[in-house]
Amino acid sequence: MEIDLSRVSIRPFSLTDAHDFLRWAGDVRVTGNLRWQTFTSEEEALVFIRDVCLPHPWRRSICIDDRSIGFISVFSESGDDRFKAHIGYGLSHEYWGKGIATRAVSIAVTQVFNDLPHVLRLQAFVQTQNKASQRVLEKIGFKREGLLRKYSCIKGIIHDVFVYSLLSTDLLPLP
Amino acid sequence: MPSKETNVQENSKESSSEMEIDSCTLKAMISSPSEKIHLRPMTLSDIDDFMVWATDVNVTRFCTWEPYTSREAGIAFINNFVLPHPWLRAICLDDDYAIGSISVTPVDSIRGEIGYVIGSKYWGKGIATEAVRLVAAEIFKEMPEMERLEALVDVDNVGSQKVLEKVGFVREGVMRKFMCLKGNVRDMVMFSFLPSDSLL
Repeated sequence: MEIDLSRVSIRPFSLTDAHDFLRWAGDVRVTGNLRWQTFTSEEEALVFIRDVCLPHPWRRSICIDDRSIGFISVFSESGDDRFKAHIGYGLSHEYWGKGIATRAVSIAVTQVFNDLPHVLRLQAFVQTQNKASQRVLEKIGFKREGLLRKYSCIKGIIHDVFVYSLLSTDLLPLP
Repeated sequence: MPSKETNVQENSKESSSEMEIDSCTLKAMISSPSEKIHLRPMTLSDIDDFMVWATDVNVTRFCTWEPYTSREAGIAFINNFVLPHPWLRAICLDDDYAIGSISVTPVDSIRGEIGYVIGSKYWGKGIATEAVRLVAAEIFKEMPEMERLEALVDVDNVGSQKVLEKVGFVREGVMRKFMCLKGNVRDMVMFSFLPSDSLL
């Protein structure tokens, strides 16, 4: 099913997203690669939106027709390293493979460099087998810098990851 | 065009980080280091030897810190950083005087970062290579939870990149604008060594 990508937007989370949030954040296909827990109730989702998403320095809901189908988070490191920020994202499984993540993350990246002017480097660490996510970043213009062996420990499993970066000075490809 | 031998003679007094010689010549020079080294814990009694390398601007060029200017600051550094450090050793010659230091600092539950500093008088003798090799050979037994030993080297610090390559670290890539060094954001080369890797 083709999606009209103009229906895709990003915005801050709100408490009213809890039901939609659970649909994708309760799906281990979405959360398995992430440090996120897999949510099991709307109550858990509500508490998480209230206590983590709302106060977060930069977290957005990926939306279709303003309904939450995923997230994008950017967080800067602290102190002397605050010029570096990590980007992570997740999308509801039913919306995979339609260019939605690419569109949403592309919008996010432009906003982030405006909202967080101290950020010079956006970086993403993607597991080697997660080819779809690698394609998202490459289409947006992230550069793959290398393979980091045994770099990430997620839910007790150690992974090799590709590291990607986008600098505030990089030219973004034309949409 | 100067011969390779001329290059070696001209450059032999300079620091290894500034040498422009091919890798074959370099390997021949340092395959048997001219001095034997050992590692041991560093203590306050190393303060005067510490001040020799810590006050040297050539040594601190790629360090995040400026050269030390007072013995008091050096003593404070040993007390506040060296003594409590989870894994830091003085690099010593036969006489047991410290000529530099090497450390492995946990980054998270599975990664450790290696760093080392050597007095410039001792550059070009294979000492850093030997020290890193000793650490890479032993550290996974001493820190069994560590799965990855990594190093970040400034793109311009060619001497230190060669040290790691000679030991058998894998060069994984250049991380752009990755570290702030004295107010400048630098590209850094990432290296790693795993328990399953072979020492060269």
